[in-house]
Amino acid sequence: MKLEDYIHDAKGCVRCSNCKFIDHIWVQSARFARQCPINMKYKFNLYSASGLLHSAVGIMENELEFTPRLLDALYKCTLCGACDIRCKRNLDLEVLSVIETLKARCVEVGKGPMLEHKVVKENIETYNNQYGFPHMNRLSWLTSDVRSVSKVDMLYFVGCTGSYIDNDIAQAASKILTHTNTEFMVSPDEWCCGYLLYSTGQLEAFKRQVEHNIRMVKELGVSSILVTCAQCYKTWKVDYPKVLGKSTDDMNFKVVHIVEYLAELIKEGKLSFKNRIDMKVTYHDPCNLARLAEPWFQWQGEHRRMGVLEPPKTFRRGDGGVYQQPRYILTSIPGIEFREMERARDNALCCGGGAGVSLSFSDFALWIASERLEEAKATGAEAIVTACPTGKRILSEAARQGKGNIKVYDINELILKAIL
Amino acid sequence: MGIPREAYDAFQSIVGSEWVSDDPAICAADYKGGAATGIRDKGSVRPACSIQPKSSEEVRRIVKVCNRFSLPYVPTSTYFSATCAPNRDNTVMMDLKRMDKFDIDYKNMYAVVEPGVSFSMLQAELFKRDLFTFVPGCGSQASVLANNLHIGDAPMGWRVGLGYRRLLACEWVLPDGELLKLGSRSYLKDYFWGEGPGPDLRGLLRGNGGPNGGLGTVTKLAVKVFSFIPKQLEPQGIQPKTTFKLPEERMRWYNARFPSLEQTLDAIYELGRCEIGFIVMHVDPIFGYIARSRGKGANFFWQEWDKAKETLDRKQGWLRVLLTGFTSEKQLVYEENVLRDVVTDYGGELRPARPLDETHLQSADAIAANAIGRRFYSIIYFESVDAGLAVGRADAKIKERYTPPLADTYGLPGWIVPYDFAHVAKQELLNYGDVDDVEYLSELHNECRKNDIKIGAYPYMEDPDLFGPFCFNYHQKLRGFKAIFDPNNVSNPPKPLTRN
Repeated sequence: MKLEDYIHDAKGCVRCSNCKFIDHIWVQSARFARQCPINMKYKFNLYSASGLLHSAVGIMENELEFTPRLLDALYKCTLCGACDIRCKRNLDLEVLSVIETLKARCVEVGKGPMLEHKVVKENIETYNNQYGFPHMNRLSWLTSDVRSVSKVDMLYFVGCTGSYIDNDIAQAASKILTHTNTEFMVSPDEWCCGYLLYSTGQLEAFKRQVEHNIRMVKELGVSSILVTCAQCYKTWKVDYPKVLGKSTDDMNFKVVHIVEYLAELIKEGKLSFKNRIDMKVTYHDPCNLARLAEPWFQWQGEHRRMGVLEPPKTFRRGDGGVYQQPRYILTSIPGIEFREMERARDNALCCGGGAGVSLSFSDFALWIASERLEEAKATGAEAIVTACPTGKRILSEAARQGKGNIKVYDINELILKAIL
Repeated sequence: MGIPREAYDAFQSIVGSEWVSDDPAICAADYKGGAATGIRDKGSVRPACSIQPKSSEEVRRIVKVCNRFSLPYVPTSTYFSATCAPNRDNTVMMDLKRMDKFDIDYKNMYAVVEPGVSFSMLQAELFKRDLFTFVPGCGSQASVLANNLHIGDAPMGWRVGLGYRRLLACEWVLPDGELLKLGSRSYLKDYFWGEGPGPDLRGLLRGNGGPNGGLGTVTKLAVKVFSFIPKQLEPQGIQPKTTFKLPEERMRWYNARFPSLEQTLDAIYELGRCEIGFIVMHVDPIFGYIARSRGKGANFFWQEWDKAKETLDRKQGWLRVLLTGFTSEKQLVYEENVLRDVVTDYGGELRPARPLDETHLQSADAIAANAIGRRFYSIIYFESVDAGLAVGRADAKIKERYTPPLADTYGLPGWIVPYDFAHVAKQELLNYGDVDDVEYLSELHNECRKNDIKIGAYPYMEDPDLFGPFCFNYHQKLRGFKAIFDPNNVSNPPKPLTRN
């Protein structure tokens, strides 16, 4: 998995600029027509997938170095993937993989990542979590009314934010699972999934996390990994097999986000809501649970003439994301009036929480979040609901800073209110 | 090489330091790519800096600095056309994307747009008030202003013509930095009318492909917009398969197949005489194969297209028609009856198509043509419908010598899109090559152009130095205009003259 593996993709950019817009069919206003956070803010073509692909070619052909503005554009990119699937509406280009491997090259040559990302790496290597809290506290969030057991098939992989920062989400999720008589376990041996390492190009450190967590899963004997974090979801489902040179289907476990699991329970009549929540809500699709949620298909082969790939390749084009389940859950809760944002599902604007951008460029990340809140408010919603702790965190921070008179929830929190 | 420090400081003082950069990565991202990469941008060089003005006044001041320091500048918006690739040392790329304001006069049915306004942005706002503008095949990400000045063609041009029918008043920063206001903008300070009171030099601003930034920068342009149906189109689907669901009581697609291309074109003329239809065009069947490959990749396309070699009846003509009851449902019924009669009269077979629109009304996907080779290049003429076919066939014959390496398009003459109810048509020979085939595409282009001269066709974006001697030496006139308007030769030189 190196930059040169994607030279065909980088050279395939024809600079149409579609990567900067949502799907044009879905444009409902000029205000919310654009989708690339860095391009919306900085406008220069470098600050777009197109610009980064051209830079990647320049780097590979030794015509360009990692200049200050290239580093700025690269590490302000949240890897939200909007450009990737937008491009794949028409072309067969792995846009996101080019940007990911460009970050990895940047680290290899000692130009990246940003200082804050190096601190994250140190925290993870020392404490097994991105925040630098003692590892022994990983399960401190567990409350007495939660029934987790050992020797079951489902592991609840809580993630660093749920474990250490936003315990409400982990507690809500585990109470919901307990309420639905779901047998699950948690592990004191859980390490950070490594999302921030992968998304900042620190691949060597990332591999350490991959190896440990996969070994843990094997030792626990579980085949199902349940997550409440969209970043953990995509990392386990896509990035783990990717760095191992495998496809998602080749892994010995299945990754399930709790919204997928609960939506099934509702359909089967095993989960119902007794409490009304009278509220107008909108849903923010986390990038890593929506357009980037499709499984990874490992491909190794030849680029032949006229775009032909040998053997044929399966592309992740964004249409297999987890879009419907959270909406189904929310609209199943009595009293909730659901409002859709203009940029929804595959066209959702990033919240700003991806790829460690909020650590290195917090003002920019909050600007993105405030853009999202503006859009949410435009629907008339009183609350924005998401399914990712990082998303909830940055949207909440933007709301706190007065950028949006709107409440922010993780979907587990609302579900819990509706059932207990 | 680099631009003088004093000039750079002046730029910073105009737009602020965050909106100008000479960082090599910023500059490297601003000179490659775009349609006709490798053909229209031969000899491009990395610019010295990129600058993003926010207003006409800032554009004017930037241009003044460029003149003072003899710095060539290239005005760009979305940069889909490789004609904006810089080809002089020390070029200043003037990126106009920050100028993204627009104002719609709903009552008087026009929109004033800045260069950074893209088609889908404007179209979405117009649809809310039952109005519409066209969407060019190159994509709805393109700039409304730039595309109208360039040519302004789209299948919807069947009803609303090319750009020449839509341009109204405008503001134009001349290559020397003076601001010129045309039409009613000059005297009445509104944009309603392009012809006056005041000067009207719109012919200089566009013409066949326009001056491509070679005669300054239009910073505000009023474009005519048109009445649409009083219904909202319903977006559906997840990428890559998204579409509008059309209100069937007002809009319906039809496909018709004719025994010959000649009969197809006769039917087009007849439909024009009857003045029905929103979109009417002869489609190249390869488009259908590309459309069906969306989300399935180039492998799928080639598998199907290779099979088509045996099954495709190349003598046939394929007509695609979108009927629209703009005024009423009865209008749609009437137009359906007319269409049925015309198709029958010319020996065709009419079939209703799915009530969906993926690529014309607010989105456009010509870019998908790059999926099946990665370098798609069209050779285009604006001709009468009949002559378009003749040119298409002649060029298809030439193309046989380049096939392979270029993709085999089975001798088909390409796409014929009529405008203004068949007064004029675009004939587009569609050529697909790989990244390494650009030279072949370029040679094919040149050979077809030479052939055009012999047969008297009207090529699009012609090479003035090549065609001028055959057309009353108009290239010398162009040279004169360039000298008068751009005495320091700084506005995307040497445009509008021949670049290479």
